[in-house]
Amino acid sequence: MLSRSAEGIYWMARYTERAGFMCRLLQLQTEALVDRPIREIHFGWRRLYTAINRRPLGGMEGFEPTDDYNLVDAYFLTDELTFVRTNDASLLSCYEMGRENARQVRNCISDEMWTALNTEYLKIQDIKLSDIWLSSPSSFYEETGAGIDRFTGVASATMYRDEGWHFFRIGQFVERIQFTCALLLAQTRLEERSRELADADWRSLLRVFHAHEAYDRMYSIETQPQFILNVLVSDPQLPEALRRSVDRAGQELDSIGDGPNPATSQAARRLAGRLSALIRFDWADRTDNEAFLTQVFTYSRQLHNLINESFFNYSITGIPRADVR
Amino acid sequence: MEFNGYDLEPNFYDEMFDADGNPRPHWRELHETLVNLSKVELSTMQERVTRSFYNEGITFIVYGDEAAGERIIPIDCIPRLMANAEWKRIEKGLDQRLRALNLFLEDVYNEAKIITDGVIPTDVIRDCPQYRIEMRGLSAPHGAWVSVCGTDIVRTDDGFFVLEDNLRVPSGVSYMIATRKVVKANLRNAYRSSRVLEVENYGTLLRETLLELAPDNVSEPNIALLTPGIYNSAFYEHMFLAREIGAELVEGRDLLVNDGFVYMRTTQGLRRVDVIYRRVDDDFVDPLVFRPDSILGVPGLIHAYRLGNVMLANAPGTGIADDKSIYAYVPDIIRYYLNEDPILSNVQTNLCRRPEGLEYTLDNLQDLVVKEVGGSGGYGMLVGPHASPEERNEFAEHLRSNPTNYISQPTLALSRSPCLIGDKFEPRHVDLRPYVLRGKETRIIPGGLCRVALERGNLVVNSSQGGGGKDLWVLGE
Repeated sequence: MLSRSAEGIYWMARYTERAGFMCRLLQLQTEALVDRPIREIHFGWRRLYTAINRRPLGGMEGFEPTDDYNLVDAYFLTDELTFVRTNDASLLSCYEMGRENARQVRNCISDEMWTALNTEYLKIQDIKLSDIWLSSPSSFYEETGAGIDRFTGVASATMYRDEGWHFFRIGQFVERIQFTCALLLAQTRLEERSRELADADWRSLLRVFHAHEAYDRMYSIETQPQFILNVLVSDPQLPEALRRSVDRAGQELDSIGDGPNPATSQAARRLAGRLSALIRFDWADRTDNEAFLTQVFTYSRQLHNLINESFFNYSITGIPRADVR
Repeated sequence: MEFNGYDLEPNFYDEMFDADGNPRPHWRELHETLVNLSKVELSTMQERVTRSFYNEGITFIVYGDEAAGERIIPIDCIPRLMANAEWKRIEKGLDQRLRALNLFLEDVYNEAKIITDGVIPTDVIRDCPQYRIEMRGLSAPHGAWVSVCGTDIVRTDDGFFVLEDNLRVPSGVSYMIATRKVVKANLRNAYRSSRVLEVENYGTLLRETLLELAPDNVSEPNIALLTPGIYNSAFYEHMFLAREIGAELVEGRDLLVNDGFVYMRTTQGLRRVDVIYRRVDDDFVDPLVFRPDSILGVPGLIHAYRLGNVMLANAPGTGIADDKSIYAYVPDIIRYYLNEDPILSNVQTNLCRRPEGLEYTLDNLQDLVVKEVGGSGGYGMLVGPHASPEERNEFAEHLRSNPTNYISQPTLALSRSPCLIGDKFEPRHVDLRPYVLRGKETRIIPGGLCRVALERGNLVVNSSQGGGGKDLWVLGE
């Protein structure tokens, strides 16, 4: 497969995955606006902005949990995180980047995938926040998120299982690992600072990863931050748990093989293995959540770099043979 | 829905109706189908056709209006029909024309006998910016300099005329196929009973053609389609064709030349490329030979081509044969190389480089269409009868200051075909671009891109100028 096509598929998967996370987080925020205390809404914004490593207009200091104007701010914050194209992390930007990458690699994905992504994009491309704000903004995020899930499902049902598929999956898993780490890090750092997170602040985290029902089955409705982190990091049965994403990324890398640059591709596979072992064996004995998650995050960034150097932008050494085809 | 109020102007040939207002024999079946459909059914059909292009993102971009982003080519849901006998004649004419033009290219870049024999004046060739001196002394495999050709044909009361031969990187074939898919699904009974000839196998035919061009010593050639990239107006088509022919869709940056061979960068390392269907203009294809500032091409590509290690379709330099000055000589070219009379007629063309041509053009600007010799896409042209006096004066200035750059032709009374405009049938001007492929042999798709000027009275059918498309049904024998 052409390196540029593989890279396009990888980024298409990353951006759509990221758009999915943004949808779920914004759905939670807009739902919270209906009846949750201002402190909780405020925490949600801070967690979201910290996770995407961005400062809201006016800075984080502008947030005063006691201040009623948070509710007015919500409009601008929601807009910035959803529709503002100059914000690379906004839902629309992620969607657009995903679709733009898909457009470039349409010949390598199924027609159904393209149509699913394109029709969803066409639905939201011209929407403004004012169109949805007064009715039910959370429904917008719910429907848009469902559209992304449809795209992922269509991909799974229709995409030919060649290299393109493996790069699609790797893109999803790398994004999931990085976004999960970033969000859990934001949660632990904010907890460190405020030390008074409510149960709802933890339970919302479960919903981001579709884990609330499974958690309730295991632990009933008792909210225990450590149990929640255990589920999200190391539960082998939770589809979006870090452990599962890391394991699956490693499997996909194995399927692709050495490629043109065995030194880096083998290093990528070793790193995926190390990451997997770290979560599997060291998570239970950790002493510091933040240090642990930072380590995972750093590894995941290294993994991305190694994939890039192995298959997308590798350096060419030696003179190619004329009979290579 | 009846054709009430359908305007049958005697000045224009109507594709569906004869002069008495009766449907022509090969249209009767479709006419009956359309009459039996209700307004609601027709508008639903039109909506489905448009929706399909929209959902599938079958788009193009208009240069100079990039801010408007991707656009959907407006497709009219009523097909245009062509009787088999009419098509057969066009097919023969296209084959003849392309054979002659390929012989011309082989000659003009080698012995240039056509010049020494005085059939085409030296200055016409010399002044043509599409003449690529870098191609001198080269030959194309099987003489196929042009492997993919899209010839624009129009019909008037006097018959069919070739408007221009597009011999560089003709586009539109993907719209032809996409239109066919959606229109036949919506008119399936009429389609089946009309025994319409197939166009959707174009990809197979193109692949066969490209494989025939591969270097002799290569048993399983790798084909790549070279695109300028996602910002090119026809990017959708490049993507579509790459998949249809099983080729990698490459940009210049994906390719490199080493030791006279072309390689593409894949996830498993470098892979040889043997045939390139290039959709990048000559100017940009190799910065070492043509425009040095090009970032769309591949340094060293022409060197690899010269060595015969890679084949390019179409070969660089083919633009000389579809230059509008050369166009005027195509009937002579056919007679010179094939010793046959042209089957398809040319439109009478005045070369403004000739004093008498310039004078005639300036005197009759209000009746003529004036075109730049190297222009395409409906850019840089004047439709005299539709232009304001100011526009004509401005164009006259251009003509006087650079007459070599222009030709003029009479304004043709393009035929009209029924379209669904709002909730009624109205006639609109149409043309036709059939596609001809040439490898070891000629392959012609029975059909083509039928372009339609959707604005009432408009004669310019280019999509960049607001034109749309229609399906063309060539009926079986």
